[in-house]
Amino acid sequence: MSRQLIWIFAGGVVVWAALSMDISADRLSLAIPRLGEFLGRMFPPDWSVWPEILKGMIETLRIAILGTFFSVLLSAGLAVLASQRLFPRLIWQPVRAFLAMIRAIPLIVIAMLMVASVGLGPLPGILAITIHATGMLAKFYAEAIDNVSEAPVSALASAGASRAQQLRWGIWPQMAPVILRDTIFRFELNLRESLVLGIVGAGGIGLYVQTYVRSFQYDKAAAVTLAIVALVLMSEFVAVIVQRKFS
Amino acid sequence: MTECLVLSRISHHFDGVCALNNIDLTVSQGERIALLGPSGAGKSTLLAILDRQLPLNKGTARILDKSLAKGDAFTRIDRANVGFIFQEFALLDRLSVYQNVMNGRLGRTRRWPSLWGQFDTRDHLVVASVLSDVGLSEFANRRADQLSGGQRQRVAIARCLAQEPKLILADEPVSNLDPTRAANLLALITARTHSDGTSVIFSSHQPDLARQFSDRVIGLRNGEILFDQPSSTVSQTDIAQLYDGAHIELDLRVVN
Repeated sequence: MSRQLIWIFAGGVVVWAALSMDISADRLSLAIPRLGEFLGRMFPPDWSVWPEILKGMIETLRIAILGTFFSVLLSAGLAVLASQRLFPRLIWQPVRAFLAMIRAIPLIVIAMLMVASVGLGPLPGILAITIHATGMLAKFYAEAIDNVSEAPVSALASAGASRAQQLRWGIWPQMAPVILRDTIFRFELNLRESLVLGIVGAGGIGLYVQTYVRSFQYDKAAAVTLAIVALVLMSEFVAVIVQRKFS
Repeated sequence: MTECLVLSRISHHFDGVCALNNIDLTVSQGERIALLGPSGAGKSTLLAILDRQLPLNKGTARILDKSLAKGDAFTRIDRANVGFIFQEFALLDRLSVYQNVMNGRLGRTRRWPSLWGQFDTRDHLVVASVLSDVGLSEFANRRADQLSGGQRQRVAIARCLAQEPKLILADEPVSNLDPTRAANLLALITARTHSDGTSVIFSSHQPDLARQFSDRVIGLRNGEILFDQPSSTVSQTDIAQLYDGAHIELDLRVVN
């Protein structure tokens, strides 16, 4: 009986979602020719905007680099506090809850808050990326600390190594590759996510996509979009190579 | 002879299960002791307590003239003086053989420079010398995870020797090795007992090797010392009794 109830409930949820909305099918039939027209106006891309593309990309890259840098610094401190191995539950649990809360806020919302508080430009973008990335990176770092295998560390303790020496020669060598891998992964995400920051005025190449779409210059928007796709593919390629080297 | 270790009425429980029961033991400097006994006899527990890996809950112990009681202060040197060879080697896979052995010097070298990878000339000399003792000089720059099992075991032994311990504890250092290799390794571990008075206590499941490389054999069963006598006087009957008793118990447990 409970299984049938679940099916009825699931079906009800879908019907409820569909009922209340303005989603008539005739709008979809109109969409196809419109989309075709839209794509037609995007082609061929207008590459005359390459100076703007270059400028936007460099700004995006800088936002991603600085955002990653500051979130690494923040995460290093927070990860120690969030480690189940180093601190009692009374400390790591609130810290982890705080990190989960940060993770739950979409980047674009943080970016809007930052724009509101520090004004337009790359600075709010850097701040937003820093905060957003720390939510994930600090958690990953804490897991790297907690996954360190105990035996080699206690072997050093047995040899008379101090706590600091155990950290340097027993814990760090086990953590370093994981930390590096997580950081590269996060940088790639930061680069990808910072592409849209321009839409809310937080700097980077997103600004140009927004500007060109709003002013109906679809051929220019297409050029910027293609450039973004190329940048993402390139960063993915580099990340794969670097990660292979440090596994 | 000076005493290296004096234990009196040591007991240890794990969640109510008795692992050691009223152990009395005295070991002299330069003595080689073999711990024999079936699995679960308390050999590993005893060695772990002597290395301060487990707390001493009941009884008294003095090791190298230092009390081992709960709350007694000990220094890095105190721990460096007692070397421990881990059954699972406990190496750092991503570090070189050289650095793994150098890790054995951490208790003796200057604390802060070591954090930046700066070690003293003496540390480097000791590491080079023990690496050559265990025959791994040419593997010094190899990563530890690129070695064979036997080589890893020798790195673990070299790390312990690099500590320049006055007492070496080894938890089944030659399990899973063929007899020739096992004999070679035990020879390495016990090599310094005569030259500089290092004492050695090792546990083993191989009675013949245990007798060959020890002055005294201690038979441990169910956390109690069944016999403690010079290696030359340990008979096949003693050993049969040590292990057979356990077999019978095991069978009874299965039946129950």
